[in-house]
Amino acid sequence: MQPASGVWGQLEVLNALILREMKTRFGKHQLGYLWCVIEPSLWIGTFVFVFQMGHRTAPNGMDTVSFIATGLVPYMLFRESATRSLNAIGSNRGLLFYPQIQPLDLVFARTVLEFFTLVLVFGVIVSVSSIFTDNWPHVADWLEFGLGFCAAAALGTALGLLLLGLSVFLPVIERLYSPLLRPMFWFSGIFFTANGLPAPVRDVMLYNPLLHVIEFVRTGWFLEYRSQYASPSYVLTWILALGFLGLVTERVARRRLEVK
Amino acid sequence: MISLEGVTKAYAVNSGLHLVLNDVTLDFPPRVNIGVVGDNGAGKSTLLRIIAGVEAPDHGRVTRRGRVSWPIGFSGGFNGSLSGEENCRFVARIYGESADEIVGFAQDFAELGEYFEMPVKTYSSGMRARLAFGLSMAIDFDVYLVDEVTAVGDARFQKKCRAAFEARRGRSSVIIVSHGLKTIRDYCDACAVLQHGRVVLCSSVDEAERIYQL
Repeated sequence: MQPASGVWGQLEVLNALILREMKTRFGKHQLGYLWCVIEPSLWIGTFVFVFQMGHRTAPNGMDTVSFIATGLVPYMLFRESATRSLNAIGSNRGLLFYPQIQPLDLVFARTVLEFFTLVLVFGVIVSVSSIFTDNWPHVADWLEFGLGFCAAAALGTALGLLLLGLSVFLPVIERLYSPLLRPMFWFSGIFFTANGLPAPVRDVMLYNPLLHVIEFVRTGWFLEYRSQYASPSYVLTWILALGFLGLVTERVARRRLEVK
Repeated sequence: MISLEGVTKAYAVNSGLHLVLNDVTLDFPPRVNIGVVGDNGAGKSTLLRIIAGVEAPDHGRVTRRGRVSWPIGFSGGFNGSLSGEENCRFVARIYGESADEIVGFAQDFAELGEYFEMPVKTYSSGMRARLAFGLSMAIDFDVYLVDEVTAVGDARFQKKCRAAFEARRGRSSVIIVSHGLKTIRDYCDACAVLQHGRVVLCSSVDEAERIYQL
């Protein structure tokens, strides 16, 4: 009889890892976990401020704050999921000491925490902005909006998992990852929409699955915007392909990930 | 009851592969305290990690019936920036135990005083071992896997550890890895000798000593 076994046991492990991660990440600050929410909120607030100072407005009559938030938050969710998955083992190697904790648990715990944190961040930004403008948003389609967030997290985790497996054999990946992913910030539709791009540019841009994801989030959130180009099957193909390759490499790399 | 079937494990070294366990088939009889002896680097800790399930063997199979602990030792398993208490809470959660009970027991047993609420990185290795030991004793395992830890701490703490195991005799057993025969003699009924990738089970420590000295 092994109490911590099966699905329930694995959920207990995930729960313990998430609570632990919350404590280790910002445990030293007095506000604790709240910092995880405050920090990105301030960062996005700055962006909105700069965007408005430049007298830029969002296309299609979308609210500027929501426009930036629906772009930046999914982008951050993708990037953070990928980065945290890639680094999941390095900082937690000691945990693999407990037989019931596997590398995948460390990756999933971080993704789940990242997901809820950034959903909170999004809520905080939209609420604060709505209080100031007294203009509460009407969400067009909660399901599409929610699935967009899930897709951002899944895409990031799948990529992070693959990179984690590969970095066991090619440590240089940990250094190259950040500069190689940086252009995503400019090409994923944080500051533009696919509908608004000229056709030749758009055809190239649409190879980027994160652009599709952000288009979903915006179509789900805004009554004013409906993406004509976002393709669910394209995003799903990326997630499944990266996820499959990630699981395979993790399997191959697992032996090397063991504690010494 | 733990059994190994054709367990093989090798590590890559500069000159090729170093075979640590070579096709080991062995049944650890239930409720018998067993000491594993072997020279430094013979693979005692590896054997313990494989028994625990921390590492997978290259070939072969490990079967565990009952609740088996993690390899209790002085290193690993604790997060240095979290306090002793927080670490205990975490381990209680992953074993599905009540965190408050486990923390209370471990605190009592480890006798760390104020240090229990301090980050583990401020601990000496003896204090870490005491925490690890107190924590593992708080959880009801059928088999405790112990990596040298009992050799740490002062005489009084060692006595306490022995008493804790004595109180569990009949309910739980222990598999201890050590290169000192004294520890083994103190705790164990039987002995296993690990040499050149093979494990030989002996019914007494004296018998093991004869083989081991060869």
